[in-house]
Amino acid sequence: MALLEIRNLSVNYRTQRGTVHAVDNVSFDLDSGQHLGVIGESGCGKSTLMRALVRVLPRNGDIVRGEVYFKGRNLLELSEDEMRDLRWSEIATIPQASMDSLNPVQKVGKQLEDILIRRGRHDRATAKRRAVDLFELVGLDVERLGHYPHEYSGGMKQRAVIAMALALNPSLLISDEPLTALDVIVQHQVLEVLKQLEEELNLTIMLATHDISVIAQACDSVVVMYAGRLVEQTDAKTFFSEPAHPYSLGLQQAFPNLVQPKDILVSINGYPPDLHTPPTGCRFAQRCPFAQEACYQSDPVLTSIRDGHLSACLRIGEMDTLRDAARQPHTWLQTEASRLVQQNTHNGKQEPDAVATQHDDDTILRVNQVSKYYQIGGGIAGLIRGQKRQTVYAVNNISFELKRGESLGLAGESGCGKSTTGKMLVKLLEATHGEITFDGIDLRTLHAKNQLEFRRRVQLMFQNPFEALNARFTIYRSLAEPLIIHGWKRDEERLERIIETLERVNLRPAEAFLDKLPHQLSGGQLQRVVLARALVLRPDLIVADEPVSMLDVSVRAGILNTMKALAAEMGLTTIYISHDLSLLQYTCDRIAIMYLGQIVEIGPADEIINNPKHPYTQALIAAVPVPDPKIPSPPLRIRRGVPRPTEIVQGCPFVERCPEAMEACRHIAPPNVQIAGQHATRCHLYGEHADSPKLAPIAAEAIS
Amino acid sequence: MQHEIKVNEITGITDAKVLSGGSLLTNFLRTNAEVFKRDRLALTGLIILVFFALIAIFAPVIAPRGPFEVIEADGFWLSNEKPSTDYLLGTTNLGRDIFSQLIYGSRVALLVGFSAALAVAVIGTIVGLIAGFYGGWVDTILMRLADVAFGIPFLPFIIVLVAFLTPSIWIIVLAMAMLLWRDTSRVIRSQVLVVKEQAFVSAGKVSGASNLRIIFLYIAPSILPLSALYGSLAIGWAILTEASVSFLGFSDPDVVSWGFMLQDAFNSQALSRGAYYWIIPPGLAIMLTVMSGFFISRGYEEVLFPRLRKH
Repeated sequence: MALLEIRNLSVNYRTQRGTVHAVDNVSFDLDSGQHLGVIGESGCGKSTLMRALVRVLPRNGDIVRGEVYFKGRNLLELSEDEMRDLRWSEIATIPQASMDSLNPVQKVGKQLEDILIRRGRHDRATAKRRAVDLFELVGLDVERLGHYPHEYSGGMKQRAVIAMALALNPSLLISDEPLTALDVIVQHQVLEVLKQLEEELNLTIMLATHDISVIAQACDSVVVMYAGRLVEQTDAKTFFSEPAHPYSLGLQQAFPNLVQPKDILVSINGYPPDLHTPPTGCRFAQRCPFAQEACYQSDPVLTSIRDGHLSACLRIGEMDTLRDAARQPHTWLQTEASRLVQQNTHNGKQEPDAVATQHDDDTILRVNQVSKYYQIGGGIAGLIRGQKRQTVYAVNNISFELKRGESLGLAGESGCGKSTTGKMLVKLLEATHGEITFDGIDLRTLHAKNQLEFRRRVQLMFQNPFEALNARFTIYRSLAEPLIIHGWKRDEERLERIIETLERVNLRPAEAFLDKLPHQLSGGQLQRVVLARALVLRPDLIVADEPVSMLDVSVRAGILNTMKALAAEMGLTTIYISHDLSLLQYTCDRIAIMYLGQIVEIGPADEIINNPKHPYTQALIAAVPVPDPKIPSPPLRIRRGVPRPTEIVQGCPFVERCPEAMEACRHIAPPNVQIAGQHATRCHLYGEHADSPKLAPIAAEAIS
Repeated sequence: MQHEIKVNEITGITDAKVLSGGSLLTNFLRTNAEVFKRDRLALTGLIILVFFALIAIFAPVIAPRGPFEVIEADGFWLSNEKPSTDYLLGTTNLGRDIFSQLIYGSRVALLVGFSAALAVAVIGTIVGLIAGFYGGWVDTILMRLADVAFGIPFLPFIIVLVAFLTPSIWIIVLAMAMLLWRDTSRVIRSQVLVVKEQAFVSAGKVSGASNLRIIFLYIAPSILPLSALYGSLAIGWAILTEASVSFLGFSDPDVVSWGFMLQDAFNSQALSRGAYYWIIPPGLAIMLTVMSGFFISRGYEEVLFPRLRKH
């Protein structure tokens, strides 16, 4: 008997506009010891499903139909008290943003022991012992039990939360987007822990994610959800080798892959249907390149392909042919949704590389030994308390140059100074030291009166499209704003430029968007508006700070492709800031890796990915999860979180975390070593101190 | 037809009437209209306030006599008359018509209420905007000034002012303007600190918008409901303050207000004579106007903090 059996589960939300059928007739089993990944875009019902299982739906959510058998008992018929006993002790959940669920004013060990005593019927002594076991299990240093959450790094907190979830020996662990909003390195560490639990505890895990590489690395079976329905169910290997639903095919094509980079990422155009009034036919039909007349008429049912592999597609018999066709990027332009969005587009046929190779010796941006320091603390209150002002070295002496038309990626963990750098380049922040010249203009000479032309030529694109637009401005008003500031007086001229720009970013028909307010558009559309606003003044340089990190995988590719095509077409120089190396590899000519305010390695994108020299770059690349279960991710050799850059380091800033650290690294700042051509790194391994004695390996903290 | 619906789903275009952009003023008015449309309580408050405003405006028409007019009968003052059809709420011990005083009293209440509320909201908003946006030493100076204002006890401050200047209702407005901007400015400042870090403000800077443009076009609209909230709270405060100051006997003796009436009644031992018709009406009037201020502020709170809304 399966551990968890879900039968015909349907969940509705009551809203002002009517009933949303968020989960619609979903059935599947979860065997003991299985690791199940539930994958789908946002709004596909993953989170609702998970919450329905433990009956913690929002107040307007109702389970209208179905049964959920857990060890033979129907959870939906239990009383609230019985259910409460079951949660945590039998079914543990790790919520989204779980790092914030630790109590900040209590030592982590105490929190763990309290749970054991209150819920697990332990006494103080056995609880202490169990807490030690749990910390060892998730790979945390036992001494850490006596620390407060703020003394933990992000990855350690995440592990502590996992330890808490496991405290009462649950049979099932449910986790909703466990890795979202974590840095690659932390992600990797958490994945390691999950894998290890599989081996040691034979734990059953169910995790929801939109990231197929998480499925590849941590799951052995997959359930694909689309628009509240289960559309495919199979084991992880088959999901990657022989996916049998067009949506699964699309998700895989849309995902950038470091190991086998794709020339063009596909975008599954369109959005999941409105679940107030689900379409009568196949719910994916509009976005499906293989949709036929019949798909709009009849609703496909889950059909077994072979044992344990189910798919809901009318053309299930032709899946081999479809799979080949899906590998061709242009296939995905032939969906109903694409036709509507992309009528008379630039066909997506620009050759970005053609322009990229046109670089003449025309340097447009020169960054010369630039630093940004912040003072923290101080103030009158701080003065009275006797606090010393502290300096944070957010960016520390970086230099690079950028040629016209080139695209550069800035990568690194959070807190490495990449966003600060971006803000200095667009003069939202002033550099503390050093010189930034844009097309011969020293940014320090710009002030309120003479900066207008610079403001026209250099634009910033923001991470969160929901915040980047003024909620009170219509799209027209938001786009007109830069034009008004730059003295475009005539309404007709402005309107013409705005419509032209909206069409360029593929918002068609442009007229339909003019009067919309931001909340009426989807995230992907909003990010296109943000791009349009950056382009409306026809700038020369765009700095894009995490342009797609807030968006669903299926629309990311579309935006990146548009940006890439427009950059080529308009001769734009672009700087992409992202923690996602696969994205940078896809979009950039060159990549610079930043660590604690310094550029530790810079070079052509392919060189950096395939031939990384700096141990930090190597670690970052190793940490990127590979969307292929056949390629296990390599063990990560670095440890600890990013320290806070509050003092200027004598030697190498990475020495504390570096697996290759040598004696010289502690005391001598590493030189900038030219590896080949444009490829350079700051590391002693390639300099004159390469034979310096190795430091004893750092006490392996929290690494399996 | 089926096809058209599809178009809409994909482009995300709905048929809903969309609001076009507009000036700061129309935006402001629209937000405010929204408050009263959404919230019955706020609407009730508004109706009460409008009711009293109408009474205040048409006081000479409604009131049968002047507020200080002494009614004489057979050469004597008609003191302590019980309510009757002639004197709806009876007369005071000096032979004045209570109903007429009540009607005229609304003028003072609303005058003080609105002018103090306006002063508090305007000063507080401007100080908050400037302190929050510019930060640094500007912020330090303005906020230390606010600290000083916080340190001054309110009623004694007014009493001292009255002692130095001629008693007048404007002293109360002045005192409120001088002290109560502190709360508003603090709150507005903290809101500005949040709003100015939002990406759309940076976007304005990157496209070259001037500081004034950013303050008034980008930041101000999102904090105006907050000013309105503190303004409507100040209405109630001002009326209560005026009543207390009058009750303590520091008001202008030539102006009748509800607080003045209560003091008059108190001094004339109306309570011991059971003249509830003298005490309850001004008390009720004060309560209603103050409540209307709070009702309206509730409406703004729900707009500002949607979590308060019940689903």
